[in-house]
Amino acid sequence: MSSPFSINGGACVAMVGKDCVAIACDLRLGLQALTVSNNFPKIFQYGDVFLGLTGLATDVSTVSDLFRYKVNMYRLREERNIAPSTFANLVSSSLYERRFGPYFVSPVVAGLDPKSGRPFICGFDSIGCIDFAKDFIVSGTASEQLFGMCESLWEPDLGPDDLFETISQALLSAVDRDALSGWGAHVYIVEKDKVTKRLLKGRQD
Amino acid sequence: MEVLLGITGKDFTLIAASKAAMRGATILKASDDKTRQLNKHTLVAFAGEAGDTIQFSEYIQANAQLYSMRNESDLSPSALAHYVRGELASSLRSRKPYNVNLLLGGVDPITHKPSLFWLDYLAALAPVPYAAHGYAQYYCLSILDKHHHPDMTLVQGIKVLEMCTDELKRRLPIDFKGMTVKAVTKDGVRDIEFNDDKVVKCA
Amino acid sequence: MAMFSQNPVLNGPNYSFAEVPKDAVDGLREHRFNPYTDNGGSTLAIAGADFAIMAGDTRLTSGYSINTRYAPKVFKIGGTTSSQDDANLLLSVVGYAADGEALQERLDAICKMYRYRHGKPMSVSACAKRLSTIMYQKRFFPYYVYAILGGLDEDGRGAVYSYDPVGSFEREQCRAGGAAASLIMPFLDNQVNFKNQYVPGTGVGHELKERERLPLPRNEVEVLVKDAFDSAVERHIEVGDGLQIMIITKDGIEEKVLPLKRD
Repeated sequence: MSSPFSINGGACVAMVGKDCVAIACDLRLGLQALTVSNNFPKIFQYGDVFLGLTGLATDVSTVSDLFRYKVNMYRLREERNIAPSTFANLVSSSLYERRFGPYFVSPVVAGLDPKSGRPFICGFDSIGCIDFAKDFIVSGTASEQLFGMCESLWEPDLGPDDLFETISQALLSAVDRDALSGWGAHVYIVEKDKVTKRLLKGRQD
Repeated sequence: MEVLLGITGKDFTLIAASKAAMRGATILKASDDKTRQLNKHTLVAFAGEAGDTIQFSEYIQANAQLYSMRNESDLSPSALAHYVRGELASSLRSRKPYNVNLLLGGVDPITHKPSLFWLDYLAALAPVPYAAHGYAQYYCLSILDKHHHPDMTLVQGIKVLEMCTDELKRRLPIDFKGMTVKAVTKDGVRDIEFNDDKVVKCA
Repeated sequence: MAMFSQNPVLNGPNYSFAEVPKDAVDGLREHRFNPYTDNGGSTLAIAGADFAIMAGDTRLTSGYSINTRYAPKVFKIGGTTSSQDDANLLLSVVGYAADGEALQERLDAICKMYRYRHGKPMSVSACAKRLSTIMYQKRFFPYYVYAILGGLDEDGRGAVYSYDPVGSFEREQCRAGGAAASLIMPFLDNQVNFKNQYVPGTGVGHELKERERLPLPRNEVEVLVKDAFDSAVERHIEVGDGLQIMIITKDGIEEKVLPLKRD
């Protein structure tokens, strides 16, 4: 309970579909069992790339601000948006820089490759070890529940609408079995030249 | 047992802090002001470890005022909140972190939108419609959940605040010596007369 | 190194004894016996309109070792003979296998005595309360198991009762227990009780109607059980090898064992 990863609570999940990806998070911010805010999104958009961060809330803010700065600097130097796979390596090396005093976050990256349009998702541990996945990535205090949901609901080549339904059902059912996550959700569906963001209400308890 | 409360409404942000300055079981002062004004329409209330609170809040106050003087314009409450969070976050991983919890309230000088930020000693920042720190959270958040409305007027806001302080007087085991209450509106920060002598009996 | 202390390999093989004897402050060595082991595995039970289904994987582990690939976790309870052909109850136990077996034997003996004395099998509701009492009697040295009791109630409907290790119990529509409970339970909420499912076009926001909860037919439930375990096997190392399924209907108890991944 006093692990820095489970003080504030929160959950995040990303999924691959057919020519699309989805990433979703809950909205709770708590102090142990007490809920402080029900409007604390954990997904951040940097150009065409999406970063989900769960873990210690202070580090969620610090790390998201840090990558906003780094991605902006990249765009100024390169005069183009950062690609998801490049960003993943940036996340990895930035986290490993703090190998012996880590940020207590479990990041998730999702996006479409700007050249090939191929879906890209990956997850990390708090010191930057990348977990490349072909199907889905989960993180946060509801990660076990999310593993169970995703492993049973997900199937290959889902279209954007079916992918939205799948990721939403997976996240909502998972956070309902975790006392530290929930209180609404954000869901992003990323297609070529189109991003749809939806707000889910979910259970308020 | 320090109490910090914050409520936003239609065109104002209310900040209230207990008047008791405590050290251990002793009350050193019954007219303490645990707030600092950062600029014309931003106010912070703070609680935590004795020296850290004043040191940190006056440090950010000085920097906010320096910014206002250099640029002849004030930072918005949101910008200040993120600045304060940044300072607290870098302190968190230093040799001796500041142990301070804050509520930062204000009204945006341009849009006139009221805002309130909850910030704990870990530098976790959350924009909220109403907030509390410490034990007051356990007593007041449920009252605010039920009675708060985003379109409240200042008078209604003060009424809800009084419901909170009544409950605190009823249930907190230590007398917190009443509250300093301040309201931030588009015209700046204003002291609010608050009846501290009201006696609330416990059931 | 506290963050690695859950790793059994780093702490040596998993004995029932608390690791290596520790040096106390004064240099004296203290040996401590740990009476419990976690043998992993997972169980699942779903109640239908006129049946109850109980399932469990058959892997038995300690730490990273697989002790056997076939150790049943679901038992028939309350038959007249050791063959249990006329049993009317099912019990699944997961957690510490030795306690599980002890509990199963005790409950079975009690149900057999009841049948001998009263000339009729014990009802599932009576047995549910009795099991709670048995477990609470060991409140301060508990059976380290998560038990689920299944059967048919007085009206012939499927009944599932779930327990914590000290006998707190509740009748439910479905329940997952053991190592992969947290993986399977939200899936059951979603697919058995249709949680978070709404009927499209019945309104906006709060006006939306929840999908009506109807008892699932037996064939669909069997598919759900298999899917749930296939998912759990994929993500939990303590679950796998075989899937033991028992289905109780008015015609008796059917048992089958399906293969699960063995990696």
